Amino acid sequence: MNRFSLPNLGIGLGLRTVHYAHILEHAPAVDWFEILSENYMQTKGRPLHFLDRVAERYPIAMHGVSLSIGSTDPLDRPYLTELKALRDRTKARWVSDHLCWTGVAGKNTHDLLPLPYTEESLRHVAARVRQVQDILEAPLALENPSTYIEHAGNTMTEWEFLARLTEEADCGLLLDVNNIYVSAFNHGFDAQQYLSAIPFERVVQLHVSGHTNHGTHIVDTHIGPVIDPVWELLGQAYRATGASILLEWDAEIPSFEETHADALRARDFLVKAPS
Amino acid sequence: MPPARTLRETQVWMVGAITGAEADAPRADLERFITPGPRMTASERFDIYRSGYHARLVECLLDDYPVLAVMLGDDQFGLLCRAYVDRHPSTSPNLNAFGRHMAALCREVQLEGEGAEGFDAVRVFASELATLEWALIEVLHAECPPPLEVAALQSVAPDAWVRARFIRSDALRLFHFEYPVNAVFIANRIEEIIPEVPERAPNAVAVYRKDMQLWRMDLTPAMMGIVEPLVLGKSLGEALAAIEESVTDPELLVQTSANLMVWFREWVDAGFFTRIEIDEA
Repeated sequence: MNRFSLPNLGIGLGLRTVHYAHILEHAPAVDWFEILSENYMQTKGRPLHFLDRVAERYPIAMHGVSLSIGSTDPLDRPYLTELKALRDRTKARWVSDHLCWTGVAGKNTHDLLPLPYTEESLRHVAARVRQVQDILEAPLALENPSTYIEHAGNTMTEWEFLARLTEEADCGLLLDVNNIYVSAFNHGFDAQQYLSAIPFERVVQLHVSGHTNHGTHIVDTHIGPVIDPVWELLGQAYRATGASILLEWDAEIPSFEETHADALRARDFLVKAPS
Repeated sequence: MPPARTLRETQVWMVGAITGAEADAPRADLERFITPGPRMTASERFDIYRSGYHARLVECLLDDYPVLAVMLGDDQFGLLCRAYVDRHPSTSPNLNAFGRHMAALCREVQLEGEGAEGFDAVRVFASELATLEWALIEVLHAECPPPLEVAALQSVAPDAWVRARFIRSDALRLFHFEYPVNAVFIANRIEEIIPEVPERAPNAVAVYRKDMQLWRMDLTPAMMGIVEPLVLGKSLGEALAAIEESVTDPELLVQTSANLMVWFREWVDAGFFTRIEIDEA
């Protein structure tokens, strides 16, 4: 159990539009669903209708991509107000977003851009996380990003930054083991070193997903089945945290049954030792 | 170590380099502020973000405008989207409303293609097609309270009809088009016919949502003559008076009086209205 006493919901799936009809018609035995928060914001229409039906039957957790916690623009208060309202509407068990920034000077790139890992960034992000948690009146969980560049001005590693941030802001961590794998490949660090530095008592959720390997670099596309080395990282992280597990599949999405079957492969890796 | 920059300076520089033109991202800056990776230079690594930015937004526009994309073809739609992203960068936490300027942009940019009536026709038709496709997005996200029930029509006393105001659903849009865009849209969606600029043929279309499904309804001039003023807040009596004053074709009046109740049932059944209010006598 994590220090926030947030429950282990089991093995969940990302709720995706192409699966709405199947879920509502068949009510499959899925432990829980994670929603992409922004898909249900700035709308009063059909997306909320389907979400309400799903939330009546399944536990929900909210995962965002536009909090932009690292941006030097002011926090977007209307966004946070709407986020909180959505949390209340769905009775979401927790709210997460990414350790990143998505834009500045009012422009949103809709990408999860890496921060320079410096003392200035640490102070800035920690203060904003505390503000967000005050508004949400609940802990926020931040996900370790997958990244393709590193800033030359970094004064600490990403895992050092995360450990200090979660401590200073007293926030949770959504640990994405695929992102560790992707960034380790792209930057040439050791995934085991990263994992061993994680404050496991702050991990409230685990993410696992497929990716696309271009040879020179890996892109976190959330496409395709998860590869065994990533499952093995998940097994390690699960044994250390006992946190809820979520499979992300965001493009070239197969049938619901196939997606769910891939998520349930996690069971094969939760108890055995890594090979 | 590179020269120290604040977090703000770093972010302003990065967004400019990601979203701007190639010339705005000097390679020397990239090499100074971004480290090379095990298999890629700093510039190559940074290009993942640059290309991802445009690809992500173009994909969003492609989702919003599938028929316009087929009509223009990959190259021209790609150029149009590139112009769109440059002129209308996203400033919102999500992309639900990102594509809202497409119809206007289609009228402003030079589009290639020889339609039935030349280049201007291509622009106007493309803009109207974009208008129709964007209406589907708007209606999808609109609030949709329970519709007026057909039985409610029967509860209106005969002498009260002229004082009746029909409160419209937010999930309804009405359009006058110069080209038959709805027919072209259907032909593409159902029969996968590649859209071409058709002959000009003014028409009217309603776009609406009912039971969570998106629909389009062709409206005759007589139907539009009644429903449009109602949607704008006029009473039925005011709408009928307006059509009597404005029409030059007596056949329209004949059609209207003969079909009025049938149309109302159809519009109410489609969820155009949410309630009736009767003005004081």
